[in-house]
Amino acid sequence: MKVSFQIKLFISLVAFFSVLFTLLGGYYYVDVGRQLYQEMSTRAKIQAEEIALIPTLRNEVEQKDIKSIHDFMQKIAIHSDASFIVIGDNKGQHLFHSVFADRVGTTLVGGDNEEVLLGKSTTTIRKGGLGISLRSKAPIFNDAGQVVGIVSVGYLTSYLDTITVNKVVNILIAAVLLLIALFIFSWFFTRSIKKQIFSLEPREIGLLVRQQKAMMESIYEGVIAIDDNLRIEVINQAARKLLGLSQPARELRGQLISQVIEPVPFFAPQTMLAKDTHDEICRFNDLTVIASRVRIMLENSLQGWVITFRDRNEIDTLSAQLSQVKRYVDNLRIMRHEQLNRMTTLSGLLHMGRYEEAIGYIQAQSEHAQELLDFISSRFSSPTLCGLLLGKTARAREKGVELNFDPACRMDTVFQPLHEAELISIIGNLLDNAIEATQRSELPHAPVEVLIKLNEQELIVEVADQGVGIKPEIRDRIFERGITTKTRGDHGIGLYLIESYVTQAGGSIEVADNMPRGAIFSLFIPATGAARRSVQELEDTDYAT
Amino acid sequence: MQHELIDVLIVEDERALAQLHAELISKHPRLRLVGIASSLADAQVQLESKQPQLMLLDNYLPDGKGITLISNPMLTCANCSVIFITAASDMDTCSQAIRNGAFDYILKPVSWKRLSQSLERFVQFAEQQRVWKIVDQQNVDSLYQLQAKNYRQDNGSKGIEENTLALVQTLFNQKSAHYFSVDEVVTETGLSKTTTRRYLEHCVEAGFLSVEMLYGKIGHPRRMYRRAEV
Repeated sequence: MKVSFQIKLFISLVAFFSVLFTLLGGYYYVDVGRQLYQEMSTRAKIQAEEIALIPTLRNEVEQKDIKSIHDFMQKIAIHSDASFIVIGDNKGQHLFHSVFADRVGTTLVGGDNEEVLLGKSTTTIRKGGLGISLRSKAPIFNDAGQVVGIVSVGYLTSYLDTITVNKVVNILIAAVLLLIALFIFSWFFTRSIKKQIFSLEPREIGLLVRQQKAMMESIYEGVIAIDDNLRIEVINQAARKLLGLSQPARELRGQLISQVIEPVPFFAPQTMLAKDTHDEICRFNDLTVIASRVRIMLENSLQGWVITFRDRNEIDTLSAQLSQVKRYVDNLRIMRHEQLNRMTTLSGLLHMGRYEEAIGYIQAQSEHAQELLDFISSRFSSPTLCGLLLGKTARAREKGVELNFDPACRMDTVFQPLHEAELISIIGNLLDNAIEATQRSELPHAPVEVLIKLNEQELIVEVADQGVGIKPEIRDRIFERGITTKTRGDHGIGLYLIESYVTQAGGSIEVADNMPRGAIFSLFIPATGAARRSVQELEDTDYAT
Repeated sequence: MQHELIDVLIVEDERALAQLHAELISKHPRLRLVGIASSLADAQVQLESKQPQLMLLDNYLPDGKGITLISNPMLTCANCSVIFITAASDMDTCSQAIRNGAFDYILKPVSWKRLSQSLERFVQFAEQQRVWKIVDQQNVDSLYQLQAKNYRQDNGSKGIEENTLALVQTLFNQKSAHYFSVDEVVTETGLSKTTTRRYLEHCVEAGFLSVEMLYGKIGHPRRMYRRAEV
């Protein structure tokens, strides 16, 4: 089971402080003990040295007056907090013992008397008659300066430890109280954090941040987040691309939105405060966009806005595509309907035993197309030309324009003066022009008449449409490069190409108006190549270059 | 002379239709059915193993389009001809098939008469090819084209009708020295411009009229017709 962030934080806080307190306590315990020992040893030393300086005692020790020593020392021992006070002579024999009177006459225990007998004070921790003790020994000098005895003042370690433990227990109580306070604090602290981060785990927050970043970069729309001072906080790649900003996102961060996007009413503070907007058409840096603006509120206070926008042209394209798709769907529906009708007719004919009619009916379905196919493939020997003509016919039909091939069409040998690619280009361009002109005229569209005929003398190509015709103002210049009436596609190159190919092959082009409208392009290219070329003044023009 | 049988492979996923095709082929004395493939992959396998000389190829197959098979070099190697069958609404593919040199193209719904004609034509074509191979290997290529065309249904129509032709000819006979432009003929006869052009060019071809180019305006030559001097 996973432990939630709150519990984890709580446990780690408590654990950390517990360890901290334990360490502190341990240190304090050791330190207190050490200090106590130091203090006590000083105390024992001073007491021992002071006792050793008492003149009466010095005399009494020198004379080994045990009774007097006892009476005198007893008084001192009562006022001292020492565990024991012992007086010994210069032989190491007990002269006085504050706890055990019967020790008098026995040897001092501990074996640390040599240095004292030499005249030095010592402080040691030794096991004596009462147990382990801290004791200080001072020599007693007579007036002549000789060591006559030893004063030993001692504190039992058990007594010292009791003092230490008492002190530590107090600290422990304080520490426990502190820990409880910490418990409560940690609990509320973690709870408040949890509330602020919407009960999310840190890992989840990290994931969210990354997700947000990825999301921002992956979306097609431009997204800009600004704070309440209208400074950019986040800007995604699509936004930079749409606005044509070359600098990286981190450079844009912090800039005023008005520095990046030309001031538009969309960013006027009053309107921004008033309400959110959706799909508003406006202009950002010369780009028409459809933009939305949403306020970010946190606990009823405004934090900023998020602005999303899309290129309107793209949307237009999309809707155009959509309507295209809709049209296809409609077409399919119509086709399905027609198909059903045909099936009904057919099944009716079969039911009534009118088999001949049924066969005729079926054949009629493909007859027209098959006839065209057979017509074209029988009249033209070049597979490429056949392909082109069939393809154009099919395309034209999709656009609602019919191509009618003249029954005189025939081209069953290779035409030498022109490369096949040139011929294809000429016929393709002529047909495209005628189809487009027809398309742009009002309904119903009249068919485009096509004549392609190769006889012994020449190749005749004539394409006649009843489309919009040629505008009088460009009539004289239609073969110049760049002159066009087309609204889209490769402008003004088709007729220029046709002209240059035909002229190079020594042919001529006749352009005439069709009845009642439209244009007729007639091409005559001699089969003998440039035979007629010499009589043509066209040779002087620079089309061929 | 003993005739060789021509091996035919049918590629068609519609079982009933494939059966009908099979029937048509098995009825023909010179054709032999070697297999029916119902998918593109199947067709490739059978093409390799059975080496047919003719394939009836449907365009829409469950694993792809038949048209992709036509451009397959395997076909050229196997010397296999294709009769391509596709829906009438699919003219684009048909033009592609023509460019890739299919032997014939038949539109669905299939006219059985048309299919039979096509098969008959192929039988003759194959026979000719075999004969030519013996006679003159050199000429096979040039004759190939010609042969393929010879059997196409062609009533030789040029769209020339006697009465209209007479109308045009009368006009030129009346003013034999006069040069006519197409527009003038249109005005005189009341025919459409495209029809007029067809008749005029027919007359030129027949030697009845002669042609001269008139360069009135720059870049806009006009073709003038006159009664040819006999």
